Amino acid sequence: MIQWWQILLLTLYAGFQIMDELHWYSSAGSAVFSGFITGLIMGDMATGLFIGGSMQLTILGVGTFGGASRIDANSGTLIATAFAVSAGMDPEQALAALGVPVAAILVYTDILGRMANTFWGHACDADVEKMNWNAYNIHYWMGAVSWCLSRMIPVFLALAFGQPLVEAITTALNGDLAWLGTGLTVAGGMLPAVGFAILLRYLPVKKHIAYLILGFVIAALLGTAFTSIATVGGDAATIAGALNGLLPEDAAVAVGGGYKNLSMLTVALIGFALAYIYYQQHQNAPVAAVSAGAEGDDDDEL
Amino acid sequence: MSSKTTGYKLTKADLRQINIRNLVGFQAGWNYERMQHSGYLWIILPQLRKIYGDNTEALKTACRTQCSPFFNTSNFLNTIITGIDLAIEETEGIDGLETVASLKTGLMGPLASIGDSIFGSLLPTIFGALAANMAMAGNPLGIFIWIASCVVVDWFRCKQTYIAYDQGMKLVTTMSDKLNAITDAATVMGVFMVGALISTNVGIVLTINPNIGGVPLDVQDILNNICPKLVPAALVGFVYWLLGRKGMTSTKAIFIVLVLGVVLGALELVAKG
Repeated sequence: MIQWWQILLLTLYAGFQIMDELHWYSSAGSAVFSGFITGLIMGDMATGLFIGGSMQLTILGVGTFGGASRIDANSGTLIATAFAVSAGMDPEQALAALGVPVAAILVYTDILGRMANTFWGHACDADVEKMNWNAYNIHYWMGAVSWCLSRMIPVFLALAFGQPLVEAITTALNGDLAWLGTGLTVAGGMLPAVGFAILLRYLPVKKHIAYLILGFVIAALLGTAFTSIATVGGDAATIAGALNGLLPEDAAVAVGGGYKNLSMLTVALIGFALAYIYYQQHQNAPVAAVSAGAEGDDDDEL
Repeated sequence: MSSKTTGYKLTKADLRQINIRNLVGFQAGWNYERMQHSGYLWIILPQLRKIYGDNTEALKTACRTQCSPFFNTSNFLNTIITGIDLAIEETEGIDGLETVASLKTGLMGPLASIGDSIFGSLLPTIFGALAANMAMAGNPLGIFIWIASCVVVDWFRCKQTYIAYDQGMKLVTTMSDKLNAITDAATVMGVFMVGALISTNVGIVLTINPNIGGVPLDVQDILNNICPKLVPAALVGFVYWLLGRKGMTSTKAIFIVLVLGVVLGALELVAKG
């Protein structure tokens, strides 16, 4: 069950995150941060980080070019994380069954908020004519109220009244609809592909195809190698554990240590180095291409 | 003062106030009709009142010119326009308003495309992907790296107001060449990172084991011998193609992949991996 103070904090965060994204932009308005903070509030950071991270990758290329509304991944992550923890749902299933649909539905409250602001925009015009600056400030800031409420109201309603529904879904997914649960888990793993594809539509991918191949192959090979090393390390530890049971204590074999996964930060450094070389080679030659829209006729809504 | 100003010259404190207003509420009034029109005026309102003096006709004219027309640009670069604008208005007063209006219309498009591609797309891609990747492994550190990068960006957003105010129109010409080179190099890193992320973050493997002549064939194992992670690459290629089709939006694509995943997973052709 979600406690009242958790609902309160999450609702406040839902309002805060859109202001952050519109203005000071600290990244608190991102899906991965939303998962992080929701996980903390709900008392299960790992689940929040997983759902937030997956959602972040899913919407990676979805920008707000020209003020188009976009899928509300932050609120989707918030709802999915809150219920994944409170109803004991599998994180991947929560992402696919709750996060994505909620994010898509909340596009409409975003549109409502932006429409409401047209009214306040006209109020501001009238205040200019009267040179009533106090009224201007108030009417201007009513816009922020529309923005915040467009997130806070749906999030509050979902958190306050959604629990029985989500519990029913979770029971079904673990029972009669187990096949759907399996499917949703796979879908959760596939969703980041959409984010990458959208992004490639925006980037000048034909011009820089060599770097795409390099990035893919380096990470694919290293990733496989690191996973294999971790597996071997795990096996060695198991064998050593069994062996130590047979040996006298002073002859025990110590096997352990950190078999880490591939560090994305290190891979990013390779990418940075390549970009730096590219910059040094091209800074003197004026380059006309600006990346956005370089691929031509894509919809703004992407 | 034929231009009907009070002769007020902006101070560093004025520019600081503009920066604070910009970071706190530039887009609060964003709406479908004219987008950032009221926000553009709101962040410079105190300064306009000082330049023209309260309760003067000049102030009303100036505010009307700023608030009425459509305005929309990158919220990371908008204060470049603001800085140049105020440098003009404080010397020319309402005589400069025509220049200001064409400056706003002329610069908002180019600045929007530069700002959207660098700050709205590339940085969130690189740092967001990094944060997401580490988060999925249970590590929140990437989020804090992202926040740190945002602090740098915000510092830059404040700095540019001063530079734009000091240099005026000259800035626009000197800036564009350098920005192009940086944008282009940043896209190299963006493309590289997408490649790396495809192989690490699209988590699916094939589980089809057809019997060929009585011998079970492990398709995934064969693919792994060609190149690891070919299935994720193929999926991204498919969605890329899908997005190129007419009438396709990102939201539709997300749902198509969602349904595809459920079907393939339920039929046990594909598994998470």
